[in-house]
Amino acid sequence: MTEHAKPPRAVFVPFMMGHHFGVPFHRDLQRRIILEALDRLIQAEQSGDIHALPVTWAQARREGIAIERELGMRS
Amino acid sequence: MTATSNDREQLRPGLWATVNDRYPGSMITKSDLVPLAGLEKPLAQSRLTFVSTAGVQPKGTLPFDVAHPVGDYSFRRVSSTAAPADLEIHQLKYPTAGANRDLNVIFPIDRLRELVEEGVIGGLTPDFFSFIGYNMDPERLERTLAEEIAEAVVADGAEAALLAPA
Repeated sequence: MTEHAKPPRAVFVPFMMGHHFGVPFHRDLQRRIILEALDRLIQAEQSGDIHALPVTWAQARREGIAIERELGMRS
Repeated sequence: MTATSNDREQLRPGLWATVNDRYPGSMITKSDLVPLAGLEKPLAQSRLTFVSTAGVQPKGTLPFDVAHPVGDYSFRRVSSTAAPADLEIHQLKYPTAGANRDLNVIFPIDRLRELVEEGVIGGLTPDFFSFIGYNMDPERLERTLAEEIAEAVVADGAEAALLAPA
């Protein structure tokens, strides 16, 4: 999809729809995705630049579950 | 080193054709890339705006028409100082399980404010911009909604924009 829409620069996030900035309460991941996107403002050398976020959905969910446990939101 | 568009194979190469078969004319087709526009000054001195298809809107404002067969071509302004508790989602086309617990997974308003407080981003526009992604007439989308948001973003003094689908 991202390639066909031909944005000048983009970060491809391989997550479930509705979760483009990560998982609930995972502040570091949410922040990282924003910073990766803003970094393309500087790093992209040509239009059509697509940077793939090197984080899997499974990894994001695992980390999110651990954070919720730390916060006492999940047993 | 992470993959870029130049060295990564497309994950689902047949997807575009499949969607076009099932919903003829509904997909934006671009033949050319737009020229790359760079920052005119460092990010730490630039004003950022955020544009989202998440259907997020202030509570009490006219809900997006999520039932219309060809979509809703209007947008809402969302104050960049708004608390997530004062916002709600009117969109049925994506899972909101995560966003209902923490809006920042799709509309990272708290994280953007933190980055401004830390000095990473120079500032935010007074408002962010929100619409729904279910719009089946891409030509109308470009001619009306996209143009209107682009004009509003420029009028609000944005020097960079973060766009996110839902």
